[in-house]
Amino acid sequence: MERLNFTHPIHLTVGLTLWSLWFVGVYSGLSVACAVAPPAPEAGAVTLLNAGLGMISLIFTAGLLLLAWGSFQVAKQHRGRQHFHAVVSGWLYLFSAFGVAFAGLPIIAVPPCL
Amino acid sequence: MKSVNQEAVEHDPQQLHDDLHDIWGNPKGLKALTIVNHTTLGLRFMITGMVFFLIGGILAMLVRTQLAMPDQDFMSPEIYNQVTTMHGTVMMFLFAIPMLEGLAIYLIPKMIGARDLVCPRLTSLGYFCYLFGGIILTSSLIIEMAPSSGWFMYTPLSSKEFAPDLGSDFWLLGITFVEISALSAGVELVVSILRTRTQGMALHKMPLFAWYILAMALMIVVGFPPLILGSVLLELERAVGMPFFQIAGGGDPVLWQHLFWLFGHPEVYIIFLPAAGIVSTLIPVFAGRPIVGYGWVVAAITIMGFISFGLWVHHMFTIGIPQLAQAFFSAASMLVAVPTAIQVFVWIATLWLGKPKMKLPMLWVMGFLIIFVCGGLTGVMLALVPFNWQVHDTHFVVAHMHYVLVGGMFFPLIAGLYYWLPLFSGRMPSENLGRWGFWLTFLGFNGTFLIMHWTGLLGMPRRIYTYEAGSGWEIFNLLSSISSFILSAGIAMVLLDIALHFRFGKPAKHNPWNADTLEWANTMPPSAYNFVSLPNVETRHPLWDDPNLPHTMAEGKHSLAVASHGRREMWGTDPITGKVREIIHLPGNSWWPLFAASALAVVCLSLLTRVYLLAGVFVIIAGIFLLRWSWENGAHPNAAPDAGVKPGDPPLHSRTMDGPGLWAMGVFLIANGSFFLSYLFGWFYLWTVSPQWRMPETPPLSLMLMGAAGVAVFAGAVIMEKLIRGLRQQRDAGLGAGFYTAAALGALQIGLTGWALWQAELSPTQTSHDAVMLVGLAYALFHGCLAVILTVLQGLRVGYGYVGVHAPFEPGVVALLWRYNVVVFGLLIGALAVLPRVIGG
Amino acid sequence: MRERNSAIAIHNPSSRWGHRITCLMGICLLISVAGCSGDRSILDPAGPAARDVRLIWWVMLSFATVVLLGVTAVWLYAFRPRSVERTAAQERRIARRWIIGGGLVLPVASITALLMFGVPAGQRMLPLPLSEPPEVIEVIGHQWWWEVRYPGAEGGEVVTANQLVMPAGEPVDFHVSGADVIHAFWVPRLGGKIDMLPGRVNKIRLEADEPAVFGAQCAELCGVGHAHMHLYVEAVPRDEFDAWLMARQETELSEAATQASTHDGAREAFMTHCASCHEVAGVSQGRVGPNLSDVGSRTMLGAGAMPMEEGAISQWLQNHQTLKPGNKMPAHDDIDTDTLDALGAWLETLSP
Repeated sequence: MERLNFTHPIHLTVGLTLWSLWFVGVYSGLSVACAVAPPAPEAGAVTLLNAGLGMISLIFTAGLLLLAWGSFQVAKQHRGRQHFHAVVSGWLYLFSAFGVAFAGLPIIAVPPCL
Repeated sequence: MKSVNQEAVEHDPQQLHDDLHDIWGNPKGLKALTIVNHTTLGLRFMITGMVFFLIGGILAMLVRTQLAMPDQDFMSPEIYNQVTTMHGTVMMFLFAIPMLEGLAIYLIPKMIGARDLVCPRLTSLGYFCYLFGGIILTSSLIIEMAPSSGWFMYTPLSSKEFAPDLGSDFWLLGITFVEISALSAGVELVVSILRTRTQGMALHKMPLFAWYILAMALMIVVGFPPLILGSVLLELERAVGMPFFQIAGGGDPVLWQHLFWLFGHPEVYIIFLPAAGIVSTLIPVFAGRPIVGYGWVVAAITIMGFISFGLWVHHMFTIGIPQLAQAFFSAASMLVAVPTAIQVFVWIATLWLGKPKMKLPMLWVMGFLIIFVCGGLTGVMLALVPFNWQVHDTHFVVAHMHYVLVGGMFFPLIAGLYYWLPLFSGRMPSENLGRWGFWLTFLGFNGTFLIMHWTGLLGMPRRIYTYEAGSGWEIFNLLSSISSFILSAGIAMVLLDIALHFRFGKPAKHNPWNADTLEWANTMPPSAYNFVSLPNVETRHPLWDDPNLPHTMAEGKHSLAVASHGRREMWGTDPITGKVREIIHLPGNSWWPLFAASALAVVCLSLLTRVYLLAGVFVIIAGIFLLRWSWENGAHPNAAPDAGVKPGDPPLHSRTMDGPGLWAMGVFLIANGSFFLSYLFGWFYLWTVSPQWRMPETPPLSLMLMGAAGVAVFAGAVIMEKLIRGLRQQRDAGLGAGFYTAAALGALQIGLTGWALWQAELSPTQTSHDAVMLVGLAYALFHGCLAVILTVLQGLRVGYGYVGVHAPFEPGVVALLWRYNVVVFGLLIGALAVLPRVIGG
Repeated sequence: MRERNSAIAIHNPSSRWGHRITCLMGICLLISVAGCSGDRSILDPAGPAARDVRLIWWVMLSFATVVLLGVTAVWLYAFRPRSVERTAAQERRIARRWIIGGGLVLPVASITALLMFGVPAGQRMLPLPLSEPPEVIEVIGHQWWWEVRYPGAEGGEVVTANQLVMPAGEPVDFHVSGADVIHAFWVPRLGGKIDMLPGRVNKIRLEADEPAVFGAQCAELCGVGHAHMHLYVEAVPRDEFDAWLMARQETELSEAATQASTHDGAREAFMTHCASCHEVAGVSQGRVGPNLSDVGSRTMLGAGAMPMEEGAISQWLQNHQTLKPGNKMPAHDDIDTDTLDALGAWLETLSP
């Protein structure tokens, strides 16, 4: 189970894979929701749909931040190759967390289905 | 780390060279068509790419001539549309990608201390597919029947009703053919970088260029299949009338745009990443110090590789999707600024801390920086939805795109060509002519395209063949056109310089730029086998840390300096640590790639001329050629019948369970999975979004038959896994019978699926629902057949003694395909048979 | 930088800066002379949405220019000759400062500002509910002309082609679609563009500040006639707009078309040659080509191919394949000039 350890290079891809899953998830979730049951345009950005998408984004951000923290912790215990993989993975987790939060920002302000 | 097989004995270098040359050397005359060597094929890729670049460039000059003045009738609108479409198509598909892949094919093995790519025959197949596809596509220009719907081929403009002649077919078939080449190069570059680095070269020690190419190759693997799927669907619509993109039949033209840009946006980064890799290679060399922030660059590459798949909708901001969805894509597009900025400032910091010299290649790098940063900044502007709505499809976008592509690809490419010229030819480029070429190109480029931003802001749309006097665009268009001729004069000078240098260049001294990477340990020009002996490399800068390394390598003082066994050998190493795991033996020159590519070319031509019977026959012939090629593997007399290695050496890869072929199959299945996911996306997209989608009252696909077929394929896969476990435990009793049983189960799956298909009574030319369903089942049937054929062949190979406990490698490769088939078939049952029953229309 | 000697100066890029700055100034001069105006210029806005975008553009351009010049200057400055010895720790610190400052802080701050600033600007073009529902105009793109419909007109729907008259000073919702391939609806001086897709209706809200005439042109490649697909857009005061609509009621138009017995011959020729494709209220019901019921009152002919003046329609009928190559109307070589003249003369009277 070496792969579960943050020193394995697979973690270089996990953070951004999670970002991609989040991205595809909110985009398709939004599209399906708008096709099936669009909220009234009068409601603006204050809809259940926005709230749901916002919650998902928060969960992903928190999870990715946790993973980043974990990577940096592990990085401190190693040198050389393992240190390299853990540190770079940590930064990538951090960026992914930022990516979720940043690309999710419009959920606060934009009405969903117009 | 103790290196494996460090030779203590003295070798006679000349004798070693002759021995290795006997095995690796290229044949002459007609037999040159059989060459599989990466050095030769890399050069062929690049030279062919340059020819297509010239064709694309001439088309560009025709466009600028037409637009130089208002109300010109130098070209008719029909011809103009053909010319612009082909300019984009040729530059993207026939120049940018193959050129950079060619460079990677040439350089990667040399940089990572290998002797060739890991699937040499695949390199050759890729080259011929590229060449034939390119010729077929460009020949459409000569008969004035080129595609004319734009390089993005939006439906319905490209569909049968509005483009009845062969233009669209040329595009769809030719491009798909060329993409086989891109994909095969992508697959083998991934495997080569991960599995054939020289001893000791851990993942975090490999040259940055290899990281860039790894990312590019993986992106090709994931990014090209959506377009292949789109092309197949559109060609099916054009040829037999399946309404995938027609509203009336329940299809949707926007689906094409999604599939196209799912490929098209990553494509931009596929082009940019290797070019940035060139920059990251050159800057440390000319700054005379290691790059600062190696890890930062690796992170930036990874970010770009992923994020670029989340941007495709920013090409479609005006198609009328919800604004919140647009905002996601807008924000994601802006995110790309971060990894780009990281790289730019890593380069700046490296220069800042080094002692940079403005040699000719660095001049081009400087041109790259200015132009690319400018294009990146307008890119961030375009990511902003309201601004995008204004300038989308205007000349502003044309300008932006050329800043990104010419700045981000062409300038670094020329920098790289100048830098590696001494390696190609053993001669130095001239500084004078080169500098003239640079300044003319740089000024001409900016003159052409900087102004074009303004033309766009004044409201000039893209792709109009003329404009009226008094529009206010005249002077800017004239200036653009004049500058474009300066630009082409500059490029002509550069090409002339490069061509002349092969004859008149000063002979280069060894490692002329004092570079740090292994490719400069080659002789100049390189030998067919690259290195006499393969060193143990545990540093990022092998030639700086040991300037004597090229000599000791050439003297055979490192590993694998043996040729007596007659095999083409190199190290197979651990993807993470770079520890040696096995000796990879490579196949020699072969006619099969050329034959297979020729058969595929006939398929392409007969589809084009609508002789479907001939196409079917040649598909089978191509299949037979490919299978015949795969026959000469492992313990086959032409591959490695004798597994003998020197004492202390690791085994041959075909005598292990985990050779590069397994990895190649894995990477190929990633590409295949991307194709399948694109298909599922199309199914669900049409289901939810298409305005006139019709779900039948009763689901046509029998759940029982499909379920039974699923059980059959699962059982087959279980048997395969059991056989593999047996091989792992040194048991091969009943191996052949096991393969035949699995194949029989596969045949049962095919039969049951075929029955379900027959029972469903689909009318695929009437509704897109039935058409999509048919494509999914055809995909499953094709994969079922593939698995059965390969499994039967394994059974035969057991009989011949090519597969068994002594050579346990191949069954694992086939078993991987079985696993894939199980997953795919399960998903198909879920998507096509279960969900419609659960959710209903 | 000091000039060392002329031979070196040739290889020195910085000596070319003077030349390039001159070039750059020349271009600036040219742009300022030619200006930002033009009937399709997004830098000469005539409505709130386009004005927002212009502001965004100038802000972004200024910022981008500073970044570009800054990066280039730092890059070139790094090439200066020098001999500083630094310890490894110093080097690491300097490198980290560059990468974190330039690679993280700069882009993150810029894109965050841009997103905050840019997303609200897009809201204005959304068809959000208003207290008073805005005028709806339907625009349908055909290869290569525009069908324009006013479903909300008092007294019944009004249909015209290749001209778009809209009320000024109030928001107007445009519902656009495509009849055959994808076209794009774009009035640059009013705001962003939106694609006209077959089978779908897209909506965009635009507003013209004052009565004026605007240029517009199809923005999505739609075949050989793409460059010749112009739309004449005119914003008029509300009361004029109402009167304009009123004059185009079908009853009014058909009366004009069927009266005037001097044109009986032309009407007959029209029924023979044109009626299967073109509609004239009260005369024919063809739907393939543009509706001609008020063609005499339009400013341009053939979707912007030529200006409307006396005798223009006859000229158009004779030369339209040269004026607008590839358009879908037959060439009319088989019809004698007199008939075409008569047809033109009659059609020119169709002006409410």
